[in-house]
Amino acid sequence: MSANIRPSGVFDVKYAQDISLNRTTSDRWIANGLFVLLLLIPLFTIEGPFGINLIPQLWIGTIVRISIFVIAVQGLNILIGYTGQISLGHAAFMAVGAYSSAIFAREFGMSFWVALPLSAIFTGIVGLIFGLPSLRVKGFYLAMATLAAQFIIPWLLRYPLEGLTNGSRPIEVPIPELFGISFAHENAMYYIVIPLTVFMMLAARNILRTRIGRAFISVRDNDLAAELLGINVFSYKLQAFFLSSLYAGVAGCLLAFEANSLTLDSFLLDRSIETLAMLVIGGAGFPLGPLFGVAFVNLLSQNIIPAVIPWFNSIIPTLFPFINTVNVFAALNPLLFGGSLMLFLIAAPRGIAHRWEIFKISWKLRPFSQTR
Amino acid sequence: MTKVLRDNQKLFTWLIWGLVIVGALLWFGPIIGAQRSYRLVQSTITGVLVGGVYALIALGIVVINKASGVFNFAHGWMMLAGGLIFYSFFSAVPISPVAAGALSFFTVIMALTTNGWRALREPRTLLIAIGASVVLTVVLSILPTGWEMIRAIIGAGLGAVLVGLVAERFAIRPLIGQPLFAMVLMTLALSELLHGFTQLIWGSVELPLSLFAGLSQIGIPSPIRITDVLDGPLIIRTELLVAFALSIAAFGAFVAFFRFTSVGLAMRATAENQKLGQAVGLRVRAILAVAWAIASLLGGVAGILQGAATSLSLNMPLLALRAFPAVLLGGLESIPGALIGGLAIGLVQEWANLLFPGSQAGTELAPYVVLMIVLVIRPDGLFGQKRIERI
Repeated sequence: MSANIRPSGVFDVKYAQDISLNRTTSDRWIANGLFVLLLLIPLFTIEGPFGINLIPQLWIGTIVRISIFVIAVQGLNILIGYTGQISLGHAAFMAVGAYSSAIFAREFGMSFWVALPLSAIFTGIVGLIFGLPSLRVKGFYLAMATLAAQFIIPWLLRYPLEGLTNGSRPIEVPIPELFGISFAHENAMYYIVIPLTVFMMLAARNILRTRIGRAFISVRDNDLAAELLGINVFSYKLQAFFLSSLYAGVAGCLLAFEANSLTLDSFLLDRSIETLAMLVIGGAGFPLGPLFGVAFVNLLSQNIIPAVIPWFNSIIPTLFPFINTVNVFAALNPLLFGGSLMLFLIAAPRGIAHRWEIFKISWKLRPFSQTR
Repeated sequence: MTKVLRDNQKLFTWLIWGLVIVGALLWFGPIIGAQRSYRLVQSTITGVLVGGVYALIALGIVVINKASGVFNFAHGWMMLAGGLIFYSFFSAVPISPVAAGALSFFTVIMALTTNGWRALREPRTLLIAIGASVVLTVVLSILPTGWEMIRAIIGAGLGAVLVGLVAERFAIRPLIGQPLFAMVLMTLALSELLHGFTQLIWGSVELPLSLFAGLSQIGIPSPIRITDVLDGPLIIRTELLVAFALSIAAFGAFVAFFRFTSVGLAMRATAENQKLGQAVGLRVRAILAVAWAIASLLGGVAGILQGAATSLSLNMPLLALRAFPAVLLGGLESIPGALIGGLAIGLVQEWANLLFPGSQAGTELAPYVVLMIVLVIRPDGLFGQKRIERI
């Protein structure tokens, strides 16, 4: 699917035009304008500098959480969507990023701006170690190796490193600061997270257009054929693992510093499954897939479920007398989540991003596009 | 240098192995030597007993993998669902006829329409369905107190078969021909759904299943104590022993089913080659459905036994994940491998619990370390087939 399709009558005359992400002037204006609008959002909340109650304050936290998870799922997208290596241990790598940055900040007194890249690189190296089995195994076997990572890493954090990580009890993380400005408020944190997310998304998009990215895609499509073409499959698999864990590390570090506290419970197997599901729902192998997937799952769990729970509570005692309404709240999340994942796998296995690409292309090719 | 390395590759490999083994002996020798012998024997016995249930879980995973090439991450939730349905029918509360009727009706319908909904158009099939479900409903609702065991076995059997058939029908069958990643995710989605349903109906409380309460009345002590053999008392928990015996019996029964019945023969043939199976007239779809139903039954039996040995709780899906190392250790396609792998994982788990106390090393770490070692050294497992790939 050629993502960069041009409107009718627009031709490339320079190489710079051919490789640019935004082909037309209007594309460029839309992209930059959206970025500026995104940056303006916290100014119009009740706790912003002007105190205008135009945008609910709740949105800020939601957007921050969504963008942190977009980084994590983009890492998974590099590994699964582009390189085709299944990973069931992404949450464990996020835990490595979160705990290593917290330890750097607490024990060594590093500031957030040093701890972030250091913990990202450290997580990348840990991911490299657990990617080593990909030398010999692939497919399901590799999934099992990463599943082992999902259990070994939290165990290491919980028992042998208990002195540093406080075991399964929460630890406090210091508040990031820059030139005396404290980023304690979530509106301030917004200005760290959003530019970083945009940067990471653009970086992923550009990495995947280079030699490395094309090698990733050839490994995904057929690794034996890629090896015959002279691509060092093992080296590229390891690079994919490194990049993917690096993204997970950044996301974990941001999670730790955004909430200012950290528990191991948010990095268990369920979280790994959740990130996988976000990727599939959004569309694996599309640069915008993580955004759609994370937004969809967050919408489901934060807006749709609270909206339907009263309705469920009113009909369940009459329809199914054996169900206790106390359990409905805890049960509805996995039910709707698993159900929507199943529906997407059966009905739209390429995810929301694929629909979006079709829509975009038919918009650009108007009036010659066929409505589908 | 590289030439020397390449020419003597075998020698270097053996040298590295020798060093690893010597290092492991130097590390573990003092720890093992510091233990008193009765505790080692105790751990070994417990490990074997726990391993029996692992073998049963591993068999369920192997059956599905052999038949349809899917690795079922939802097996743990299938176990829990079977165990919880058993619990509901086993506890003395009278069963509502509506629930019993719905359970038996849906199971019969799903079982009769494995080849397609068209089977319902025939009036004869419809009559059979209604008759069978009415009979099952009546049996489930009118059994008097004192017959809870029979009622629970029928109910849990129906429930497990229903779970397996529904999973195959609505989750796995639409995905035939899709890549492995989609299949893995589908079983994960299935486990989320089963999680939701069990949470909805039974909540997240820990339910004790006192299945073996009658054992002490017929003269079997609980727990069994052997005091005068070694330098300390050996304690064997009767529930674990009975669960082990029953799971080995169930294992044997299912292996005999695959070995000696015509359905088992058809299943083995389908696992060998689906197209050839179709060519000689086997109903591959129905056989896949039967494989899922049997795996779900196996999971249900394992869930009931494990629930009786400890309790029915949300730890059970994690227990089933620990059976994956057993499957990989034994080989993905191998039934004897499932038995040996299960016993080995049980042993490793108990030994690690003994040698590294206070850190949950056995239950949370050791099986996955074994998994990593198997993946690095011999990914096909002890008895698995070597995989050959073509472009």
